[in-house]
Amino acid sequence: MNKQAPKARPAPAKVPGIYKVDSVRDVAESLNLPNLPDAVASALASDVEYRIQQVVEEAARFMRHAKRTTLTTADIDQALRVLNIEPLYGHFPHNPPAFRRALPFPQMQTAGSVYFVEDEEIEFDRVIREEKISMPKGVSWTAHWLAVEGVQPLIPENPPAAPREIDPDSAAAKTSTANGVSGSVFPLTPPSSDRPSPIQSGKQTQQQNVLVKQTLSRELQLYYTRLTSSLLPPTSDPAKRTAALASLRHDAGLSPLLSYLVHWVGEGVVNTLRGGSQTETDGKLLEVYLDVIAALLDNQTLGVEPYLHQILPSVFSILLYSSLPPSNAIHLRTTAAQILAHLLTHYSMTYPGLPTKIVKTLIVGLIDNKKSRATHEGAIRGLMAIGKEALRQGLVNRSGARTVGEKCMPGESSQLVELVMDGLKLIHPPSAHPVPLDPNSSADSELIEKLHATLGDFFAERVVSDAEWARGILSDEASVL
Amino acid sequence: MSAATPAASTPDGASTPAANPAAEGPSSNTSAIDRMVLEYLRSRGHKDPEKILEEIERSATPSDDQGKQPETTPAHSISQEELVKQLAIFAQKPANPDENALKDGTNVLQELSTMGNPQNIQNLISSIGPVGAEEILSLDPTDKHQGFRELQSWVDGSLDMYRPEFRPILFPIFCHFYLDLVQQGFREAAQDFYTTFSHSLSPIHQTTLHHLSTITLPYHVQTDEVAQRFRSEKYTVRMSRSGFSLLIGWLTEGFGGEPTGTGEGFSGDKGKRGRAAIMRVVNNHLRFDVTSSSTTSVSPRAWEESTGFLSSVVPQTNGSTTDASTYNASKGELKLGPAPIAEELRTETERTLRDQALVDHDPGAQYDIHYARQAPLTGLVSPAISDLPPHPPSFRSVDVKREVEKVRDARKRIRYDPSVLNSANANTPQGAAVRARALPSICAYTFHDVGEGVPCCEFSPDTSLLAAGFSESYIRLWSLKGEKLKGMRSDFQTTSIRDVSSLNKIREKGGSTTRKLIGHSGPVYSVAFDPVGGSASPPRYLLSASADATTRLWSLDTMTNVVAYRGHQNPVWDVKWSPMGIYFATASRDRTARLWSTDRTSALRIYAGHLSDVNAVGFHPNSLYLGTASSDGTARLWDVQRGACVRVFYRHDDIVSTLAFSPDGRYLATAGEDLAIRLWDLGSGRCVKKMTGHTASVYSLAFSAESSLLVSGGADWTVRCWDVKAAGGLPTKARENGATVNGTSDEHPPEKEETTENIETYASR
Repeated sequence: MNKQAPKARPAPAKVPGIYKVDSVRDVAESLNLPNLPDAVASALASDVEYRIQQVVEEAARFMRHAKRTTLTTADIDQALRVLNIEPLYGHFPHNPPAFRRALPFPQMQTAGSVYFVEDEEIEFDRVIREEKISMPKGVSWTAHWLAVEGVQPLIPENPPAAPREIDPDSAAAKTSTANGVSGSVFPLTPPSSDRPSPIQSGKQTQQQNVLVKQTLSRELQLYYTRLTSSLLPPTSDPAKRTAALASLRHDAGLSPLLSYLVHWVGEGVVNTLRGGSQTETDGKLLEVYLDVIAALLDNQTLGVEPYLHQILPSVFSILLYSSLPPSNAIHLRTTAAQILAHLLTHYSMTYPGLPTKIVKTLIVGLIDNKKSRATHEGAIRGLMAIGKEALRQGLVNRSGARTVGEKCMPGESSQLVELVMDGLKLIHPPSAHPVPLDPNSSADSELIEKLHATLGDFFAERVVSDAEWARGILSDEASVL
Repeated sequence: MSAATPAASTPDGASTPAANPAAEGPSSNTSAIDRMVLEYLRSRGHKDPEKILEEIERSATPSDDQGKQPETTPAHSISQEELVKQLAIFAQKPANPDENALKDGTNVLQELSTMGNPQNIQNLISSIGPVGAEEILSLDPTDKHQGFRELQSWVDGSLDMYRPEFRPILFPIFCHFYLDLVQQGFREAAQDFYTTFSHSLSPIHQTTLHHLSTITLPYHVQTDEVAQRFRSEKYTVRMSRSGFSLLIGWLTEGFGGEPTGTGEGFSGDKGKRGRAAIMRVVNNHLRFDVTSSSTTSVSPRAWEESTGFLSSVVPQTNGSTTDASTYNASKGELKLGPAPIAEELRTETERTLRDQALVDHDPGAQYDIHYARQAPLTGLVSPAISDLPPHPPSFRSVDVKREVEKVRDARKRIRYDPSVLNSANANTPQGAAVRARALPSICAYTFHDVGEGVPCCEFSPDTSLLAAGFSESYIRLWSLKGEKLKGMRSDFQTTSIRDVSSLNKIREKGGSTTRKLIGHSGPVYSVAFDPVGGSASPPRYLLSASADATTRLWSLDTMTNVVAYRGHQNPVWDVKWSPMGIYFATASRDRTARLWSTDRTSALRIYAGHLSDVNAVGFHPNSLYLGTASSDGTARLWDVQRGACVRVFYRHDDIVSTLAFSPDGRYLATAGEDLAIRLWDLGSGRCVKKMTGHTASVYSLAFSAESSLLVSGGADWTVRCWDVKAAGGLPTKARENGATVNGTSDEHPPEKEETTENIETYASR
């Protein structure tokens, strides 16, 4: 009797109604009245149905006055009471019994079906193991601002603002891609818990992993599918991608989606890297993922912090992975490094262990000589982005430069070498007029030894030519130590 | 008519087809009749009665067995009345096939009665009367199908200017046809008829149609209330003179009104009978209110408003049925101005205000009491003190406090002016300021851990208390100021109480900021705090209405139930205090609203007249009038003291579930299951505008203090703000939290000019 539902009564079958003649006959038999004539039975069935409708119509009034939109057994009880009929005892609005149908003899269709109330068997083992739910403390209320001077504040109690069209200029593009769903007709129905959220097909794996299962409103689900489909595949329209990223960067009310998005990125990165990731497309893909992370971090209205531990692995993976597609490698690592730096500047205060965690991971990537050169490169880039001190820690104090140097052919001038040199330059700028260290002077020779010890032969050779620089690199080290 | 439909009105006649095979066996009575029949037919010169019977059977459906012939199955038992009717057909058919059955039928009956039959048949024949023969022709279910289809295509094919006035006649004819079919026992044909045609009528008449669809047995038609209303009352349809003559022309000649070439009129025998069936409904059950105004000068909505069971919905004046606007006009002017205030109270209030202004060293403070009171609007008559329901002649300090606070509140009040929204662009910085001027701040309270639901909740006027009524039959109070809610101990000597301090001694110790009031034995549907304290002091009493048919008065000093007011026989849906306390009104499922005073346990006035549940009551701000909203789709305004209905607000398409008076006393807003909010002008009783936008039922309405803004809340989890003063129509732009909602102008194209979009929507979870 939900009044909201349009009364599109489907054409009833020839035997009208829900209360069947057979049921009447069953009842008659139970009352010891065999051979009830057809006409009588069908008339009775109609009458029973009419009475049921009467009761339901009456119950609907109670439902309406209780300000509900679902009819409960309590309403039926009230209706029976005002109609002067004895109420049906034993039904409670909580836990309405779910009737199930079964065919007692599956091979014999004519035997008819039997209805029963499902009685679930409860295992004590499970009950004991299960988390205990504490008693609620009784009815209580909370208050929040639904609107302040005509503006709905963006607080968790309020539903997220209805998703705007992502960008005016991309609106047309979006509507054209949306199959069947035109862009501007999002009905402003508020999210509801009773609306089931069919999780998109692509997210089945996610179901197992996401611990917090949030119920997404239909609008957000739509938004999510459109967003991900306009971001990927990376070959798609760049304008759309830019628009999608802009939406991620600026739109409010995406917080319910955040866990899904973070997860989506994580999965995507892992899958791409696992697949070998040597092609151009893979590189593009990773680029998009990094862009998404950056956009999420940029969004002022999102509380990304709880998800940092999920975001970090993706960033690290891209930064330190050994075999990124060569064409994009530098760009990817630089971006990842920048994201790390951004994370550190914004969240190191609120997330106490964050700097240590990041720097440690990077240094391990740098000084572990079993790691590939690409990993070293990524680590150095990361450290460079983080700052001078971190870089010094890695390259000098923890002998990162030596590790790298050991892997280099003498006289080699590869990208990695350049990078290390850049790093060293960052630690202390080389002097404009380099004066080489004099191996004859005792102080200088001591310094040279020290250089060889810390930076390794390879890089010591290169630094030796600038006395001031070498001193700078090492002296600051002293001050740090 | 009941005598004229014997076959249908007796269960015997309806179930004859089914009972025939079972009731085999000749009886002396029936054979006598058979003989008489044959004799009669021969005397009339019919050589071949069987042939005639076949002819009739061909035009009828197989399911219809009216053509059962007594000659060929002589042993067949058939009720006597049935037989007589069949005879009537035989008699008229060959003689005058094209003429109305009426004349000939009469002849037949006369002849029959002169033939010297047994006495019982004589009686029967005389009771059938001349219409019996005509009635038989209506028994073919396919006629109705055909007739209605042709009527529908005629209405749809008519000129655009006529269509709005023709369309309303489809619904009553549909209902009557359906009920006829059911009553005559053609269940499947009725079902078929319903499924074929109901969808075109469903948008407006959904509730009634659904109810009709549940009626499937002749017995139900006899007992069902809705069906009986169709049977016994006339359904009024308003038409212009030219439209009416077109309809008559079509009914009698088979064409007229439609564009040339589209209507072929009635064709064939069946078509004629269909037309006859429509004619019958039109003659017996419809009342045409033919206006002299031309078709184009009346808005489509006006056609709709004067359609329906006006005779019962609108109280009769001088025994004649009128439509709502005529009725409202006949009731004269109302005194809608603000209530007067007693002279002594006014002086005292002014004095207090002046004193306080001196104490506060605020000589500029305005202490004129009129400041708080709106200047009476032009055109509104203010009542005199003698017009008000009797109140104690003396005033108490709480009254002074309330009046003083009222003035202060008025000073502090933010004046909302929604009209500024139209001129401002929301995206500019100024836009934000404009919004703040036009739109309110809303604080939402959410109840947690509620078992079966909270049908109602209410804040005290001084916002110190929150009361909520629960489905589990109790009321819970919360102190919003964090004070402990203490009752009284029950173990005390009355002699020991002398002054305030001794009274305080017997207060309960401890206590918490929330308290449960237990007393009702059914869901609590409404609670109301007494308004005497106003915003100055906390309320002392609480009223609650419940499904157990009682209204209870709770003392908030002792936290106990003081009185249970019994009188309603059915659940009480709503209770409201009069604006000045003492009196209160209740609305109940028993179709009445009642007026009570707190010191009497029986009702002072009963306001009866609604045709269905009274869902809500509300006092006019000057307490002279009482508004009621009912499930019969109307709202009424009653004179509180006389108990007479003074205005009928007709009509909503569905249940009206809530109402609100504007504080300036000029408007009434009603809303309900038809998802529209209607604003009525109390003085004229006219609908000012219809505001649509809600997507589920509207639960509550409230005006802002200066009546410029209307706020509504509904089952679609939204709070919507409406501009009361705006002229209606589509505003230049609609803002709705970023997403634009198209209002509902698409759904109600004919009402576009009356539809006002809401100016703001706040969704909540």
